[in-house]
Amino acid sequence: MTNTWNETLYDAWGQRHDIDKVYFEFDTGHQQLMIFHNALFGRVMVLDGVVQTTEKDEFIYHEMLTHVPILAHGKAKRVLIIGGGDGGILREVCRHKSIEHVTQVEIDKAVIDMAIEYLPNHSAGAYDDPRANIVIDDGCRFVAQCQEKFDIIISDSTDPIGPGEVLFTSQFYSDCKRCLNDGGIMVTQNGVVFMQLDEVKTTAQRMALTFSDVHFYTAAVPTYVGGVMTFAWSSDNKALRHVDANTIRERYKAAGIKTRYYNPDIHVASFALPQYVLEAVGKADNS
Amino acid sequence: MANLFQDVLFDEVKSRELVEQYGSPLLLLDCDKLADQYRQLSAALPGVGLYYAVKAFPHASIVSTLNQLGAGFDIASTGEINLLRKQKVNPRHTIHTHPIKKDKDIKDALRFGCSTFVVDNHAEISKFRKYAHRVGLLLRVAFRSPDCAVDLSKKFGCSPEEVPALLKAANELGLHVKGLSFHVGSQSTSPSTHVAAIEACSRLIEEYEVPIRILDIGGGFPVDYDHATDIDIHAFCTPIRAALAKLPEHVEVIAEPGRFLIAPAAASITTVAGKAMRGDQPWYYLDDGVYGMFSGRIYDHARYPLHVFRTGPTRPSALVGPTCDSIDVIEEAIELPELEVGDLVVGRMMGAYTAATASTFNSLPIPRIVVFG
Repeated sequence: MTNTWNETLYDAWGQRHDIDKVYFEFDTGHQQLMIFHNALFGRVMVLDGVVQTTEKDEFIYHEMLTHVPILAHGKAKRVLIIGGGDGGILREVCRHKSIEHVTQVEIDKAVIDMAIEYLPNHSAGAYDDPRANIVIDDGCRFVAQCQEKFDIIISDSTDPIGPGEVLFTSQFYSDCKRCLNDGGIMVTQNGVVFMQLDEVKTTAQRMALTFSDVHFYTAAVPTYVGGVMTFAWSSDNKALRHVDANTIRERYKAAGIKTRYYNPDIHVASFALPQYVLEAVGKADNS
Repeated sequence: MANLFQDVLFDEVKSRELVEQYGSPLLLLDCDKLADQYRQLSAALPGVGLYYAVKAFPHASIVSTLNQLGAGFDIASTGEINLLRKQKVNPRHTIHTHPIKKDKDIKDALRFGCSTFVVDNHAEISKFRKYAHRVGLLLRVAFRSPDCAVDLSKKFGCSPEEVPALLKAANELGLHVKGLSFHVGSQSTSPSTHVAAIEACSRLIEEYEVPIRILDIGGGFPVDYDHATDIDIHAFCTPIRAALAKLPEHVEVIAEPGRFLIAPAAASITTVAGKAMRGDQPWYYLDDGVYGMFSGRIYDHARYPLHVFRTGPTRPSALVGPTCDSIDVIEEAIELPELEVGDLVVGRMMGAYTAATASTFNSLPIPRIVVFG
C-alpha cells in the first residue's frame, strides 16, 4: 500500500505526494507540521495540510522573492525579512556581499531549529552569517515598534488563513512603510493568482493605501499548484520596477551571485501580468 | 475486559466490582458494540459513506474505533476538530455540518483540512466568498418530519422552493455547491420521510444545470429505547435503498448517523444515595441525574431502559438525580421493587447525547467513562 499525502488547499482539486519517509511530525494542537521525503521533490515541508516548501523547487521562490527587489534597488544595504523561518530567503540575501545587515523576524524559533535540522540546504549556513540578526517575535509587533530603517522588506509568510493572517493587513503594510528608507521596496508572497485571485485584489487595495506604486510579479513554482505564484511589489518609486534589462544585467554581474532561476531577463519579464490579473487589480496595462 | 460489557449489565457482582474499581456513577462504553452497529448500518446502506456525528458522543475511543473501520466524521465545532486531530483522522474524511459558522470556525476547519461545509441561507453562503476555491458546499434542505422525536427541519435547512435561488447565488460568487443535504430529524419512526426527501432532492439535482454530485441523507436512523434490543435496520432501510437506487448515476450518497451508532454502545451504573416516601410514593435519589449523563432525558426527549438487581413486588416510584433542582427527575413513576441505599441502577442505550450534554451543575463531576473493547 502506498503512503500518500493529499494537499487540502482546495476542495475539488489538489496535489498528491507519495511519502517515502516521514522525517518529522509536530502537532501543537493548533497547527500541524510534517516533513517527509518525496521522490520528485525531495524533502517536503507541509503546514496545516498545505505545502510550504520543498528541497527541489524552493530555489525559484527564494531567488525571486530576494534578488528582484535587491537588484532593482541597486544600492540596498539593509534588509528586513519577516517570517521565512526555513532560512531560504536569508540564504539568498546573504549571497549579496553588498548587503551590510539583515534582520530576520520569525515568530517561532522551533521552525528555525527544525529547518536547520531537517532542511539544512535551505539556510545553507546563513544563520551563522555575522551580518544576520535573528529576532524571535511577532513580525507585526516588530514593525509596529521598530526604530530601525531598511532598504528592502521581504515578507515570507504562510497563507492568510492561519498565523500569517496579520501579515496581510493594511496596518502591517503601513508599519513596514515606516521602517523603509526613502526609495525602499517591500515584497510579499501573495499566493497563486489563478486560484486565489481575491487575495491579489485585497493586497493591491490594502498596499495602495500606503504605497504609491503597487504591482505584482510572478514565477511558476511547481508545488504552489494552479499556475504562477504572485509576489506583491510596493514602493513609492515606480521607476524601480521598470529598471531596464541592461542595468539589471550590470548589477547582477557585479553582485557575482550564481542563480538557478533568476536572471536579468526573467527579472524584467516577471512584472508582465496577464490581462485577467491586471483587470482584477484595476490596471489598464503593465506600465 | 473485552467481552464483559454485555455480561456486566445483568450481573450484580460484576457491576459492583466495576463500581468498587472506578467509583459511581459510571458510563461504560463498548467499542465492540459500536463496531457492530457501524457494520449493521453499512450493510443496510451499501455504498453509502457513513460520517459519524461526533456531537452525539465526542470521545477519543469512539473516534479511533470508527476511524479504523473507515468511517468519516460529521463535525460541527473546533473542539470536535481538535478531538479528530488527536486521533489523526484524515481531514478529507470529514464534513463540517453546522449550518451557521463564524469566520474563525471556517478558518479552523480549513486549517485542519476539512473543506466541505453545509450552508442553508444567503448570509452563510456569502461568508465563503473569500474561500471560494478552497471549499465545496452542501446546501441543506428542510423537509418537515412530524413523526420524528426531534424535528431538525425547523431550526435549519432552506425550503425546497429556495434551492434554485441559493444555488444561483452561490454560483455567482464562484462557489461550488457540490451537494444537497437534509436531516429528517432524530429517531424516525418510519423511513417514509427519508424516502420523500431523497426523491425531492433527486428532482432538484436533475433540474439544476451544474452537476451536483453528493446527496447527504443525514441521520435519524432509529434505535429501540423501549426494549434495548437491536432494531432490524436492514429492513428499516429497504425503502431508502430503493429510493437511492433511482438517483442519477453520478450522485454519491453519504449519511451522518450519530445515535444509531453510539446509543446501544454505552450503559450507565448509578447508585441509590438516598430514599424517602413522598406521599405514598417512594423516591430514590441517585448519584447522577438529568444534569449528568441523563441529560438526554431533557434535551433529547429520551427515556432509557433501566433495571435494578433486587426483585419483589413493584410499585410506581420516582428516580431522581442528585442536584438541588426539582427538574432533576429521571423517572416520575417507574415500576420498581423496594430499593435500599447503596443499590445499583443500571441504564442501557446510554451512548447518544448523554455524556455529550452532561454539565457540572452543583459542581458535580461528569461521570467517569470506562472503555471496553
